Amino acid sequence: MVITHQLKFQYGNGEAFNFPDIKLKATQHLAVLGPSGVGKTTLLHLLSGILPPSSGSIQINGTEITGLSRKALDQFRGEHIGLVFQRYHFVKSLNVQENLRLRQFFPGKMKEKERREAIAERLGLTVHLKKRVMQLSQGQQQRLSIALGLIHKPKVVFADEPTSNLDDVNCEKVLELLKEEANLCGSSLVIITHDQRVTEHFKNQIVL
Amino acid sequence: MKLGFVAFKNMISKPLNMVLSLLLLVLSVSLVTFVLQLSEQLNGQMGKNITPVDMVVGAKGSPLQLVLSSVLHIDTPTGNIKLEEAKQIMRHPFVGSAIPVSYGDNFKGYRILGTEVNYFDSYGVKISDGRLYESTFELVAGSTVAQKLGLKLGDKVVGSHGLAAIGGEAHDDKPYTIVGILQPSGKVVDQLLICNLKSVWDAHDHGEEDEGHEDEENQDNTSHEHNDEEHEHNHESIEPTHDDHHDHEHDEGEHHHDEEHEGQNGAGDHNHEHDEEKEITSLLIKFKNPIGLVQLPRFINENTNMQAALPGFEVQRLMGLLGSGVKTLNGIAIAILLVSGFSIFISLLKTIRERRQELALLRTYGLGTGKLLFLVLCEGLFLAFIGFIVGWLFGRLALFMASKFIESGYGYVLQINGPNFVELVLLGVTLLIGVIAVFLASTSIFKLNISKVLGDA
Repeated sequence: MVITHQLKFQYGNGEAFNFPDIKLKATQHLAVLGPSGVGKTTLLHLLSGILPPSSGSIQINGTEITGLSRKALDQFRGEHIGLVFQRYHFVKSLNVQENLRLRQFFPGKMKEKERREAIAERLGLTVHLKKRVMQLSQGQQQRLSIALGLIHKPKVVFADEPTSNLDDVNCEKVLELLKEEANLCGSSLVIITHDQRVTEHFKNQIVL
Repeated sequence: MKLGFVAFKNMISKPLNMVLSLLLLVLSVSLVTFVLQLSEQLNGQMGKNITPVDMVVGAKGSPLQLVLSSVLHIDTPTGNIKLEEAKQIMRHPFVGSAIPVSYGDNFKGYRILGTEVNYFDSYGVKISDGRLYESTFELVAGSTVAQKLGLKLGDKVVGSHGLAAIGGEAHDDKPYTIVGILQPSGKVVDQLLICNLKSVWDAHDHGEEDEGHEDEENQDNTSHEHNDEEHEHNHESIEPTHDDHHDHEHDEGEHHHDEEHEGQNGAGDHNHEHDEEKEITSLLIKFKNPIGLVQLPRFINENTNMQAALPGFEVQRLMGLLGSGVKTLNGIAIAILLVSGFSIFISLLKTIRERRQELALLRTYGLGTGKLLFLVLCEGLFLAFIGFIVGWLFGRLALFMASKFIESGYGYVLQINGPNFVELVLLGVTLLIGVIAVFLASTSIFKLNISKVLGDA
């Protein structure tokens, strides 16, 4: 579950954002909508502990993450939070399988080979496991990105503009995959996007 | 999967970058190990070869040259001394053993040394095949010579005048017979062909031409006719102007060849009447009494027209000269090593900058800055380690090539050994440089703003 209260953030250049409070129960899905420049990515970074807020509180799975040390935050994030980025980030020198294992490394789930195989299977990556990530097509990279966000069964998955570069058919597919995987893992899902096509898929919505 | 594996994958993912940052390290490590090995081995080889000899007595000239030529067999002799005068020194009460050596010929670049049988004892070498020489023109081959030239017992060998493989006058009227092959000793003896003193004297003592032809007919030298012409030609036209150390003997020989040839048949003891005419190249002395070391060299240098040289002292002097060269080279190598540390630092810095997105990603995977530091540390240490190994291998390759070169020129062989203590210390230093480079380069890891890095992407 995700609960925020009076969350504020101010950049060094004076640009300030006030975010509406969020109350999301476990396994619920939420779409955060808004045009570019209203602080969507900033909110996602605050929620995932990548960026410390100027004031306000963030509770994830019952833990107040604003009070955690940098190290504790890194570990908390590694264990309980999954991130699906707008631009795909991988370790380019490793192949697909190794990237998946690396995501399992910190939570100590590297041994869970079946989990790796299962998620690769569902996302159609099984035949690509030995490929280097840069050899994958755009769509395969997108699916790998989703796999990396969910392989460790996080409590919450944050997805930043997962559909912005996709056509309608693929947009549908990706949203279905995300929701399906999140449901399978019992994770909450928060999608942050300006893409209006997403709205019809989510009952819970916040507009910034 | 370990983080070390990720570091390794990261390192090899850009091979050209890796090679670039390793270049200087490889250069410096190979230079240091090569120079150290070379100086150490030359020192060791010389030390091994001079131990049986406390003092060399030879003709006046450079004492270093005398030691190099008579003990280490890598230079030309200073000249000859009279056997009669040498015998006076041999009889001195401080002298334990005194071995006369005489030479001036070679076979395919390997020296033919005339000496007495106790020469073998002083170097502690034994016959492995055949027997020691018993009469003139019988030759015992050092193990290396035998191996390189494929000499077998019973082979006939024709010496050429001089110490270089080419250009000498061939004594093809006086062939030697190989009667024994020595065990390998790792000493200079391995590089020699050894006979008795009389053989050397006789080889340079030109008999009547008739006799020479008779001798030649008995051997199966296919080119003997050609050589013979050359021989005659040289004999007449060049000999008077020769200023080689054997010239004198040639001249003497002209007067005495009849008597010499009579002596040749009664092998063994030579006639004392002729000792005053006979010459040897030098006398290798081992003292019975250590006072000899103090008194005899001075006595000989002041009171005779011979000189005494102390191999230990001369070799030390030589190594002192080489030592400054070694120090200079090592200084250069260490400077390169430091620069290579800097190049690794730059390379890591570049790597960290290029990979900051990946490092930020790993932070979202739950890896703290400590683990990221460890990742970069692994990469730095891999680089340093690989650089050292490759450099070490190159150093040994250079040593191998130097060995081939020295062997063809001087007959010395360098050993290709495993890593020694100094090299392990060098490995430690190299790794330390790697660690320092990592810590200097990794400050940006602590300052990594993952929000910015991931958001900007």
